[in-house]
Amino acid sequence: MRGYVDTLKVILLIAFRNLFASRLKTLIVGGIILFGSMLVVVGTALVDSVDASMSRSIIGSVAGHIQVYNAKSADELAVMGSFQMEGADLEQINDFKTMRQALLTVPNVKAVVPMGLSGAMVPAGNSVDVVLEKLRDLIRRQQAGEDVLAGIESQKDHVRQIVSVLGADMANVGKLLTDKAVSPEELAAIRRATAPTFWGEFDKDPLGTLEFLENRIAPLASDADMLFLRYVGTDLEAFAQSFDRMKIVDCTTVPPGKRGFLFSKWMYEEQVKLKTAHRLDVIRDAILKRGKKIATDPDLQRLVKQNSTEVKEIMLQLDAQQTAMFRAKLQKELGSQESDTSKLLAEFFRVDDGNILRRSKFFYDELAPSLTLYRVRVGDNLTIKAFTKSGYVQSVNLRVYGTFTFEGLEDSHLAGNLNLMDMVSFRELYGFSTPERDREIQAIKAAAGLKEIDRDNAEAELFGAKPSESEPATPVAAATVRDADAVLRGLAGRSKRERREDQTYDPAQLGQGVVLNAAVIVKNARLIPQTMKDIEAAGTKAGLTLKAIDWQKASGLVGQFVTMIRYVLYISVLIIFAVALVVINNALVMTTLERIAEIGTLRAVGAQRRFLLGMLLVEALAVGGLFGGLGSALGAGIVAILRMVGIPAFNDIFYFFFSGPRLHPGLSITNVAIALTIVLVVSGASSIYPALIAMRVSPRQAMQSDE
Amino acid sequence: MTHIVSVQQVFKNYTLGTFVVPALRGVSLDVEEGEFLAIAGPSGSGKTTLLNLIGCVDTPTQGVVRIAGNATETMSERQLTRLRLHTIGFIFQSFNLVSVLSVFQNIELPLLLQRSAAAKERRTRVEALLDRVGIREYATHRPSELSGGQRQRVAIARALVTRPQLVLADEPTANLDSVTGTNILDLMKELNRTEKTTFIFSTHDARVWSYASSVVRLADGQLVDRVSAEEAVRAGGVPTAPAARTS
Repeated sequence: MRGYVDTLKVILLIAFRNLFASRLKTLIVGGIILFGSMLVVVGTALVDSVDASMSRSIIGSVAGHIQVYNAKSADELAVMGSFQMEGADLEQINDFKTMRQALLTVPNVKAVVPMGLSGAMVPAGNSVDVVLEKLRDLIRRQQAGEDVLAGIESQKDHVRQIVSVLGADMANVGKLLTDKAVSPEELAAIRRATAPTFWGEFDKDPLGTLEFLENRIAPLASDADMLFLRYVGTDLEAFAQSFDRMKIVDCTTVPPGKRGFLFSKWMYEEQVKLKTAHRLDVIRDAILKRGKKIATDPDLQRLVKQNSTEVKEIMLQLDAQQTAMFRAKLQKELGSQESDTSKLLAEFFRVDDGNILRRSKFFYDELAPSLTLYRVRVGDNLTIKAFTKSGYVQSVNLRVYGTFTFEGLEDSHLAGNLNLMDMVSFRELYGFSTPERDREIQAIKAAAGLKEIDRDNAEAELFGAKPSESEPATPVAAATVRDADAVLRGLAGRSKRERREDQTYDPAQLGQGVVLNAAVIVKNARLIPQTMKDIEAAGTKAGLTLKAIDWQKASGLVGQFVTMIRYVLYISVLIIFAVALVVINNALVMTTLERIAEIGTLRAVGAQRRFLLGMLLVEALAVGGLFGGLGSALGAGIVAILRMVGIPAFNDIFYFFFSGPRLHPGLSITNVAIALTIVLVVSGASSIYPALIAMRVSPRQAMQSDE
Repeated sequence: MTHIVSVQQVFKNYTLGTFVVPALRGVSLDVEEGEFLAIAGPSGSGKTTLLNLIGCVDTPTQGVVRIAGNATETMSERQLTRLRLHTIGFIFQSFNLVSVLSVFQNIELPLLLQRSAAAKERRTRVEALLDRVGIREYATHRPSELSGGQRQRVAIARALVTRPQLVLADEPTANLDSVTGTNILDLMKELNRTEKTTFIFSTHDARVWSYASSVVRLADGQLVDRVSAEEAVRAGGVPTAPAARTS
């Protein structure tokens, strides 16, 4: 044994001295290995950290560990990262109760949350509509005998103010472009609405005048837009319990048994908030949280420009009194004598790095209290209209109970673009076919006297036998119309009842009925692959065709990101080490050929071939081990620094991937082990060919060569 | 006396492309233990080939080579290597020291390959040989720091460190000046006398024949004669092949 150790010592000695003797070659080979191993350590540490962060984001926000849906679905489920407004085309699961019971038989399943994902466009109405609606309400109240004259006059002033803003806007368009850019009909409408006689005659026909304003003036205020809402219908209580990162930001969650809607805070700010205010927030946050400067950041400069040119949104909200108040406050704040409030607002929003914080505070302290900051407020009823799976439009009125966010993902668009609603409302909007609904439709059909007819006989069935030219058509439809009126009257009455009753539902409905998919929270995340198999087996046992996918797949394109990055890393590493293998191999071949005499001598004096193999292997492994170790240490150092400093999420997508504003990567022993293993395998492999050359060297070579 | 080397009717051919070049043609030779044998002949006479066969670094095309009683033609590559390690010491014309090892380590190397001697014994044997060849003070030097004669002394020490029965020296003085060459031959002769080690060395230098106990003369791959050193010196010149003489 001792003899072997001594032999190994001499092998090491020869190997190291040879490496030292060929310093330049060793350094070149070592440099490549050092870089490669450093890349492996840093790369795998970063990818692992992003993977871990992202899994926290995805699992903790909406996907859970596993998503389960009907295996017969046309599409694959993607709860995140889908660019479609609608969710995937999934086959429904008819009875959540059976599904839940089946899934809970799997030992690793902790909780099952019913879900459905869909989307809708919600018309939000523009600011003129809002004012006109207020005026119409006051007029109705006046007609009902209430004394609301002061309110009516104030709203009339506001409308006149709006008309004058729109008129000025139109004049600007004419000046900046050409008169032809202004529609003559729109110009005529504005001229009519600004004429003193128009307002003088308002009281004679207030509702008729309002109709003109609603039809001809309101559309000119182009601040109306649609809200694009993607929402998850779920058991909100179970959702909050299972996804502990979910936090209510404003007001409350939807009470159990109540229908309701929760805006994601991110979306509420992004789409519902007054745009000027939101842009001001974005500029302020970019400066405070990310250390950006307006002076150097083109995006912030664009936002500043938008804010200073798009003050109409604010002006339309102001009545004459508020306009005067704003003027006075802004003149004082800006030290300006300008009398045009819109110009003062434009000046106010032309912020720079020096005044942004002060302006932002002034806006919220002094101006915002007079403005409607959010188009939909908590407590409002939101009318959500969506196309059902069958293609007809279904609408549901839902009260907005509050806003929520996922802790740590507050600024992430990917986590923030999903809103929440109760499962019962979701089912209604999605147009699920249930036995109750089928029975209801049958009842309506029966009451209306509807029957199914063949296409071929349609004409005869609908209009009777083909009439002669002279004979008038038989008035078959008349009776039907009368019946239909009766049905519709009945339905109208029923609808009113339902609107009241529909605000509540039996909580038992959540535990049963139709769902599209379900999130599964597991006890041990390491057992996800096995749990997925168990879930599918449990489904089959319960007579369900279930498909289970892990959080990464369920998150769609987003989840594939880490896999993609991992592949890119592996390919880079593969290329680097393939180059390293060739370079090390060539260097060792050169070294071997230079040492033919030495190798021949060693063979002549009694060195077996395995001694030479060992010698070359040790040389290659020594270079690999030494520089691989140095590279790994360097990589570990870089990861440690990155962990300390944190890698900033430079946009909201990375915010999601990093599960927060910064990624603090961690290093595991596996990262270093992978690097060293690759290095040693490559080093060993690259010494095979030189070793073969060395082993073929005959001891005769020693006799033939000069030193 | 026992034959440490027995070469019987050995032929060795080398193939160069389609040509077969005979290097040895039916050489027979017995060497007894303790001999100090010179193999003489001009370049291309087959001296190195014969030495290679005796040194087990090559195998004959035909014939028998026995080294210390071992028939080499039946031995595997591994066995031949082991035979070299334990039975034969080599001294090369170009010294062939391992450049990255010190003098001490070069001499110790065969012992490390043998893996039989403990560190202390190795040290004792190497130091004794360093004294013996007169380079004790250069023990830590690298070969590149030594003169030609000093390097050959290291080579001699390395050849003797395993206490081989046979030392083969291929033109040991060819790369040395005459004084150094004489010193090296004196040293080899003394070791032959005191250690009873058999030395076989090839040379085409007639001046060194006088050191040999007998001289085997080769020409064109054939053994011309085997004579005493005095006879060889007296005969002088380049021997001719038996076939050439008869013709």
